[in-house]
Amino acid sequence: MLRVRAHSGRALAQGFAAFARAGASSFVSKSVLTVARPQAASRLLSTTSTIKQHPKEENQAPPTHTSPPPLLSQESNAPAPANGGLALPLDGIRILDLTRVLAGPYCTQILGDLGAEVIKVENPKGGDDTRAWGPPFAGNQHDPADRGESAYFLSVNRNKKSITVNFRTKEGQAIIHDLAKRCDILVENYVPGKLQKYGLGYEQLKELNPKLIYASITGYGQTGPYATRPGYDCIIEAEAGLMHITGESTGPPVMVGVAVTDLTTGLYAHGAIMAALLARAKTGRGQHIDCSLMDSQLATLSDIGSSFLISGQEPHRWGASHPIIVPYQAFPTRDSRIMLSGGNDGQFKSLCRILGLEHLPTDIRFRSNSDRVKHRDDLIKIMTERLQEHDNQHWLKAFEGQGVPYTAINDFAHTFAHPQVAAREMVQEVEHPKAGKLKLIGIPVKYSESKPSVRLPPPLLGQHTQEILRDVLHYDAEKVDSLATAGAI
Amino acid sequence: VNRNKKSITVNIRSPQGRDLIHDLVKKCDVLVENYVPGKLDEMGLGYEQLRALNPGLIYTSITGYGQTGPYRMKPGYDVMIEAEAGLMYITGEENGTPVKVGVAVTDLTTGLYAHGAIMAALLARHKTGRGQHIDCSLLDSQVVTLANIASSYLIAGQEARRMGTSHPSIVPYQVLPSRDSHIMIGAGNDGQFKILCSVLQLPELPNLPDFRTNKDRVRNRKALITILTERLRTKDNAYWLEQLEGRGIPFAPINNIAQTFEHPQVIARGMIQEIDHPKAGRIKLTGPAVKYSETKPSIRIPPPLLGEHTDEVLRDVLGYDDQRIRDLKDSQAV
Repeated sequence: MLRVRAHSGRALAQGFAAFARAGASSFVSKSVLTVARPQAASRLLSTTSTIKQHPKEENQAPPTHTSPPPLLSQESNAPAPANGGLALPLDGIRILDLTRVLAGPYCTQILGDLGAEVIKVENPKGGDDTRAWGPPFAGNQHDPADRGESAYFLSVNRNKKSITVNFRTKEGQAIIHDLAKRCDILVENYVPGKLQKYGLGYEQLKELNPKLIYASITGYGQTGPYATRPGYDCIIEAEAGLMHITGESTGPPVMVGVAVTDLTTGLYAHGAIMAALLARAKTGRGQHIDCSLMDSQLATLSDIGSSFLISGQEPHRWGASHPIIVPYQAFPTRDSRIMLSGGNDGQFKSLCRILGLEHLPTDIRFRSNSDRVKHRDDLIKIMTERLQEHDNQHWLKAFEGQGVPYTAINDFAHTFAHPQVAAREMVQEVEHPKAGKLKLIGIPVKYSESKPSVRLPPPLLGQHTQEILRDVLHYDAEKVDSLATAGAI
Repeated sequence: VNRNKKSITVNIRSPQGRDLIHDLVKKCDVLVENYVPGKLDEMGLGYEQLRALNPGLIYTSITGYGQTGPYRMKPGYDVMIEAEAGLMYITGEENGTPVKVGVAVTDLTTGLYAHGAIMAALLARHKTGRGQHIDCSLLDSQVVTLANIASSYLIAGQEARRMGTSHPSIVPYQVLPSRDSHIMIGAGNDGQFKILCSVLQLPELPNLPDFRTNKDRVRNRKALITILTERLRTKDNAYWLEQLEGRGIPFAPINNIAQTFEHPQVIARGMIQEIDHPKAGRIKLTGPAVKYSETKPSIRIPPPLLGEHTDEVLRDVLGYDDQRIRDLKDSQAV
């Protein structure tokens, strides 16, 4: 059981940390603006642009413009934005995507959502492993015998084109070289050293295209004693502290219900790639980006990790409770569970009124938050007893509009039926060539100047090989045939 | 969460404070805020008002539920939204209760989405010359990071469930107890399972029809886990970690935070950085997660004291003279 230290300064600091953790918007009275460094950013408004949408244009003089430069070269096959004609932030950017499974594809999917043309390179035999990771599968409306794509694959691969290339062959490597010259970004998630063997490492491709931004995503990073170990989300959740702090206080450590470390890494990577694009606008050069599950996992230990680094105090598992705010946890009701917060004295008073426990706020054991923390067990017992007298529905109704944070612990049916989820368009239906109508999760970030959407459904394996070879690389029919014969595509 | 920032104190409710913010906005590229929608507008600091002063401003709003929709005025809390949007439901032991993630993951995910969106808007501005309003929310970020788990529901109506530390379709791929602790082991295919069994000195196991393929192992999960657990419980974690080293199977101890920060790879990657803080002296902070070949992000400024940079910013960024700064202090605008 974590004891709150008596030292007032530390408790205050922890309290602030808890408040910061507890809410996005509640407790700030004086604001601190986060400012970008003005002198660095102002270069972007300069009249000469060095940002190149396609490296093929590097022999032309950099455009000077008083109006925005053309967004698409003639080379681009990026489909017209289906967003009312408003340009997307990454219109005209082309990405060569060698990633597979989750972290990498999640990253490139966000970039695709933002308008980039993502060319997903898959091996001709089966492609991305996740195509087969099911059940469930989405089926094939034209062929009942075909199980179709896995829900897994469909969740992280929209807004991408699929080409099949076997880069273990010389011809396949040549295709990747040709594509690298015409792409702004390459993203890969192979164990360090693997792609170098095929002539596809950063140093090798930088020769062909010095503007290339080469983003590597691995388990442990490009350097260090663990660099060549394959990376797995749940292994690193265990290895880097997250599992230790997740689970019931009296129970074992548990994994997070999604592969959060993969997703966090993908999120760090998507930002880093855009940071490199911004840097390239100033320097004219690409660079190698090194993202890893372990580093991303570490960074997202955030305030919990910091508590340890600053104080040496080991954190514990707290189940669905909070170490230093009481009550702020899940409670059992007669038929289910409910999440309640009495995070400050005002909320606690309201909460007790709703529960019909008006005497509690003046009880000497529960007057302030630190009192409530000290007598946690007593308070939770009393509240639990009362909450278990009624079903969840009763309490959800009672708490509505009362100014106390509350929620059911929603399963997915309830999550996706949530009125705000619908209002925010977080489920989008698209047409898939095999599966027919498909539901995908929508776009979380909204922009006033553009409307990102699902422009392309998740591609079939190799659906765009011909198109890319013909329209981007300008290979003629004979060359394409010979590549097929050589087993390169 | 506050290194590489300068702190100024401004009372944005006062007219002079508001004017100061207006002056700053004209010199900034990006504004980030997390007030309930409408609050800053009331103070003359909403997007429409500020874009009139600086059309290139990228105004980033982070809220619990977004700028639109029936819940937009509701204050947002990480743990509440973990519960509300499916994450808590799927985290915890199979036969246990839903638990929250050990860190405020929804807050962090939202921050990560926002940082990327801001850079996307900077890239867009490079083409259009205009800023825009970005609308990030905990709820949307939480929902989208249900990713493949949500997809099973959306595509096939398959409700999610808690798996504790087990993998729904690979066995064994979970946390197992040793004599003194727990270990995470993943034997994702038949080859790895064979290796695991040889390490555990159970060489006959992979040949039994009940456990030969992954499909078999999934079907007979309980029986297999019982056998493996019994064997693992005979020795301490340290023993098994040594035995598994370099054998080609994914494995890891369940490291607590101390062990995490002592991990040789964590140290080699510079993920702990020591800096000087004016009050605290030498403190340890987590290093930057992403490495770049052309640049070396670092901790240039320690987390600032309250208002540490008010004078500097007013003087050097806004070009206010001493008298003006004194007036602002007298009127308690700063």
